[in-house]
Amino acid sequence: MRNVVRGIAVGLAVVLTACGGGASPGTSASTNTYQGKTIQFGAILSLTGAGGVYGPSSKNGIDLAVEQINAAGGVNGATITVTTQDDASIKQQSAQVAQTLIQQGNLLALLGPTLSNSAVAVHPLAESFKIPILAVSTTGINIVPDCNYPNMTPCTYVFRDSLGEESAIPANIMVYSQNAHPKTGVLMVANDDKFSSDGGKIVAATVGKYGIQLLDTVEFSKTTADFATPVTRALQKHPDVIFITSLGGIPATIMIEARKQGFTGQFLGGNGFNTAKVSKQAGAAGKGAQSGSAWYINNTFTSNAEFVKSYRAKYGSDPDQFAAQGFAAIKILADSARRANLTFSDVAGDRTRLRDAMETVNVNTPLGPFQFTSTHDVRQTIWIIQMDGSGGFTLVQPVKPS
Amino acid sequence: MAQQILNAIFIGSIYALFAVGYTLVFGVLDVLNLAHSAVFMLGAVFAYSLVALHGVPFLPAAVIAILACGVLGLVVEYVALRPLRRRQAPPISALISTIGLALIFVAIVEQATPGTLFAWLWQDGANSVRFPTGAVPNPTFHVAGLTIEAVRLGILATSIVLMLLLGYVIRFTQAGRALRAVAENRRAAALLGINVDRLFASTLFLSSALGGLAGILFGLAVADISPYIGRDQVELKGLAVIVLGGMGSIPGAVLGGYLLGLIEVLAFVRFGSNVEAGVAFAALFLMLVVRPQGLFGARLRERL
Repeated sequence: MRNVVRGIAVGLAVVLTACGGGASPGTSASTNTYQGKTIQFGAILSLTGAGGVYGPSSKNGIDLAVEQINAAGGVNGATITVTTQDDASIKQQSAQVAQTLIQQGNLLALLGPTLSNSAVAVHPLAESFKIPILAVSTTGINIVPDCNYPNMTPCTYVFRDSLGEESAIPANIMVYSQNAHPKTGVLMVANDDKFSSDGGKIVAATVGKYGIQLLDTVEFSKTTADFATPVTRALQKHPDVIFITSLGGIPATIMIEARKQGFTGQFLGGNGFNTAKVSKQAGAAGKGAQSGSAWYINNTFTSNAEFVKSYRAKYGSDPDQFAAQGFAAIKILADSARRANLTFSDVAGDRTRLRDAMETVNVNTPLGPFQFTSTHDVRQTIWIIQMDGSGGFTLVQPVKPS
Repeated sequence: MAQQILNAIFIGSIYALFAVGYTLVFGVLDVLNLAHSAVFMLGAVFAYSLVALHGVPFLPAAVIAILACGVLGLVVEYVALRPLRRRQAPPISALISTIGLALIFVAIVEQATPGTLFAWLWQDGANSVRFPTGAVPNPTFHVAGLTIEAVRLGILATSIVLMLLLGYVIRFTQAGRALRAVAENRRAAALLGINVDRLFASTLFLSSALGGLAGILFGLAVADISPYIGRDQVELKGLAVIVLGGMGSIPGAVLGGYLLGLIEVLAFVRFGSNVEAGVAFAALFLMLVVRPQGLFGARLRERL
């Protein structure tokens, strides 16, 4: 009881001080409103299942950023917390987890979900509850702004900091074409996953521009047991390039099988290539496999160098693109929250204030200086990278956003 | 096309080996052991972990992994099956309890990362890995435009030898006769002095050891080891195989395995992947309509 009384007294004192100094609204006023408060976010990530290749990295990035910001005094004195829930890479579970998080009632924003396939279910939910949601790894088509696709009304609470495949895949194909002038290709695409099939559509729509003839499109299910059969079919056409758009370990499995069957050409792919796990599984078979990435580990600008250093110190391993995007997401939300004049009493109002502040965010992240486009998407340099054959990547060249 | 037929034979032999374990338990105990796919996965995981994390050479690692899977079969029997049998629960309860066990096995692996309780077993969470390059010598032959890997030839040989051996044991040895007697009529077998519980336990051991071996071979052949290879890639197909071949029939499971491999590959080549699974399951449906007992399920009074 005595503690409660003391708590109220301290609270009153803080409020009174705030009022006293509050004649001019500004940083000092909001500092005092924020002091001692908690800014709560929720994250829906695929820690298990097919997306379990990416989700844990995102979580590591998110946790690291939260730890750093809180250690440096928080957001104007308020502490950030993130509640992370696993959606097991299942769309329905993702929606259910999102619903539960939203209905807790005190979260200011959500992060995720990991997979585009799940985003289709989760983002419209966040939009209808008017809670800002920041996608940290979804790269499919129609993620932002038309989250209710085919309804094209722009969603106003949905953002992403993950570079879309519509930017990354064409940039990668352009760079490879300019360097190697391939004539023919075969597309290998998983047809039962939004991320993968979107990637396939983008490849098919892009290759013609660079004079590459698509000889065949080999579709497969992500539960295919043995990739020998699809690979045999792809190789029958003797393509210069095999385009792979698929999730998890599948790109690596295809590369290994294709090399076994004697393929000596080039692998080009999408975001599914961009994790060290896939590069490691592919090993020597993956050497030279090329993709467009939102991030490159050896970039030396300060916000990246510091991120890589502190990530290694905390986790004892190298970060990947997904960790960088998760880290960037918290930087973005923290910067927005700092400027949002949150009240901490009106959750609905605070969510909208945070959303408004996100639209004008301008912050340094491991991805580079970060701003949203008018459609809440990413505008950033694309790093064209290659697998190095031993679990890492090397930079081919950066492509500036057009 | 010849290459595709070869592909079908290789994947067919893995399906067959997996399904033989499935059908063995069904034939003897009359329950579907749905933890079989998790044991299949653990076979690959055990062998991988011994080779990659503990530096054991491949062959001894494979033997240890197969034995470990046999022991897991005993776990299935003692934890998920026997207590229910004691209470004379209907077979559907055993189905559910083995699903539960499968979920636990998968969860243990998918949650294992460095620093966790099971880090000695697995450190890659939900990721896919493969045996370290060079762990198994795998010369690849290119003959007349065909690619043939030594590993896949080995798989084919292992599967055929093991299945013949199993057939011999069941048909011509004392233990096999006891097994068939129990499958025929549990009570009568017990009255004849056969220790039914011990036989059930050995069936689970044998079946799970075979499942584990199938998992190891799968991991070798397709370079994909993850917590989900059992659940996502072979579980349903294994069920299809034993329905196709006749529930509880070992020759049926073998033939069904190769048949499913062939149907899948032909459907893929002819119609593309959109209908691959559809064609396989249409064949299954057709079989159920035309011959509900499956290929070899005719003589229901004589099982295995």
